[in-house]
Amino acid sequence: MSENESEALGYNRRDFLRGGSVATLMAMMGGVELFAQTNEAPAAAIKPPTIKIKVAVVGLGAWGREILGTLGRMPQAELPIDAEIAAICDTYKPFLRRGASAAPAATQTEDYKTILDNKDIKAVVIATPTPSHKEVALAALKAGKHVYCEAPLAGSIEDAREIALAAKAAKHLAFQAGLQMRSDKQRLFLLPFVRTGALGKTVLARSQWHKKTSWRATSPNPEQEKALNWRLNKATSLGLIGEIGIHPIDQAGWFMNTLPTAVTGFGSVNFWKDDRDVPDTVQAVFEFPGDVRMIYGATLANSFDGEYEMLYGSDAAIMMRESRAWMFKEVDSPLLGWEVYATKLKVFNETGIALVAGASKPPPVDAKGQPIQPDPLTTTPLFYSLNNFLLNAAELTKAAEDYKAAFGEDDVDGLMEEVGKTAKKIRRAFAGYLEGFQAAVTAVKANEAILTGKRIELKPEWYELK
Amino acid sequence: MKIRTVIAGNIAFLMLATAGLQAADQMITYSAKPGSKMRIEGTANILHPTWQIESPIIGGMIAVGPGFPTEPGQAVTPGKIEASGKVFISVRSLKSVESDGKPFSDRMDEVTYEHLKETQFRTINYKLTELTLKEVPKTKDAPYVFDSVGDLTIAGVTNTIKMQVNILPVVDPKQKGLEITGSTTVKMTDYKVEIVDINLGVGHIKTGDEVKLVFKWLLVQRKAPAAAAAK
Repeated sequence: MSENESEALGYNRRDFLRGGSVATLMAMMGGVELFAQTNEAPAAAIKPPTIKIKVAVVGLGAWGREILGTLGRMPQAELPIDAEIAAICDTYKPFLRRGASAAPAATQTEDYKTILDNKDIKAVVIATPTPSHKEVALAALKAGKHVYCEAPLAGSIEDAREIALAAKAAKHLAFQAGLQMRSDKQRLFLLPFVRTGALGKTVLARSQWHKKTSWRATSPNPEQEKALNWRLNKATSLGLIGEIGIHPIDQAGWFMNTLPTAVTGFGSVNFWKDDRDVPDTVQAVFEFPGDVRMIYGATLANSFDGEYEMLYGSDAAIMMRESRAWMFKEVDSPLLGWEVYATKLKVFNETGIALVAGASKPPPVDAKGQPIQPDPLTTTPLFYSLNNFLLNAAELTKAAEDYKAAFGEDDVDGLMEEVGKTAKKIRRAFAGYLEGFQAAVTAVKANEAILTGKRIELKPEWYELK
Repeated sequence: MKIRTVIAGNIAFLMLATAGLQAADQMITYSAKPGSKMRIEGTANILHPTWQIESPIIGGMIAVGPGFPTEPGQAVTPGKIEASGKVFISVRSLKSVESDGKPFSDRMDEVTYEHLKETQFRTINYKLTELTLKEVPKTKDAPYVFDSVGDLTIAGVTNTIKMQVNILPVVDPKQKGLEITGSTTVKMTDYKVEIVDINLGVGHIKTGDEVKLVFKWLLVQRKAPAAAAAK
């Protein structure tokens, strides 16, 4: 798969100005004008052929069940993918039972290897505890499965590198790191907006995740307790920065098209004074090129203001909350034009301008011509991320089948080469093995900075995949 | 009397079968190998006045009889050659591309699959029925020019088409092969494929009826099963 998706989406100011990105310009300016000028039927009038693919989910904790639920909603979204959840796996029986209620037709197993033996299952989603990602991911790639591996890829740079190198070698397979923001429609809408300088000079980024929760799973016995609560043990967990913060930190670098150069961290167990050694409250400052810093804060002790991400520029700031975003302009910023027509939101004394993906397209309508409101659960970053993964996986599966039909099954090298060419042409947005690896490097070092209270310089060679 | 008739019948059958085997022995089979390209070019009415879709995989085989040039510059006589062949292209392997070959649009791909009725007819097929050597090349690296006749099936509808093809025998250190190139123009309505006439986000698109099929098909000579088994 693509080594660096940021390159594929490499917008810059020059592209924007020369009009190379007409669609982007139209989308940004356009919602109102295009909608007003056209009375044409929406593109949804064409229903493309559906691609079927069998997928398995390994790891059925809370996030694994969220993934199951999201996969289960895909048929309702009328997308060209029909994901059949063929198998689910967890070593903990109660999780397996709970997973079965979301995917009753799926085969249940406590051993992921039985899934890898099933030739009909083409794709595997790995949502196990981080320390076991490596074992399952490497085995799945070896078995010829397309792999979606949750972020962080691993708890150590070495393990993350091993996974990424295996994914790189398996160029005929789709490998996607679970950095779902990179597939989110709303954020993909914002990306050219930020990259083309609509915010002016980017000066600061900030993100928070506040939640009042113990992060502790109920355990029936002491043996299970340790396994279930692996997040609370620093030997097995990258803590809040690695399990949660990895997403907005990766997103900030993605938007700015760069990687952090240093990180300083702080963390402590402030509230949940049980036997955990993973901080329940963390802060970290990431330094990016151009003297831009990102401040990240997360706590399990307070839920006020929840979670959001901010990006500040000299002309405007952008606030992102879940799948929504607003822009707050400075009074001396240049008029872009389209914002006059945009939906506004009052926040204290500021006026936020709604930035909405797809605003330039007329909404789909029902038989009576009334706008159809999309199911909010089918517009989440996770939904888009899994959808893109399965489409990529299905496309490569088909390419491999075509190759075998044309040239037989003996030439494995030829198949990998030819299907690898198809993989390189895939344009759907996703985080590949390189992005997954680099995000893991940042997360591992940020966690180290938090645990030691030190500033760590992030050397460019650490991000290289060798 | 009865026995004599049976024996005579069997002899006649064996003679016919032997003749058939001899003919089959003289046929050389070539199978598809990676590196081919099928390009379909068409016209439209909007921002992109031309469009093109490509597949990197052309599957199938051809079998040719005596008189077919298997080596570059081989002396052969123009005329009809015994030949048969089957070619297939997976519809879903067709991808829209810019004129320089870069990927164009997933949406365009979906429209293509829908119009070619991909769920019902997964492949475009061609069956070669006649092959006539028309011109012998003047130089060793130039192709032989053939006239071909065959049945082209798109979206389940079959029409007979005539097409000139250039065949260049290729000999590399490992094996003999062929590079077959050619092009032909067909009307999509002849195959009951509806003209694309839709509204997309970029505006109203209406494609032309005629499309040009351009291909480069690479093949490798297969050894006869008996000969292969003997090794």
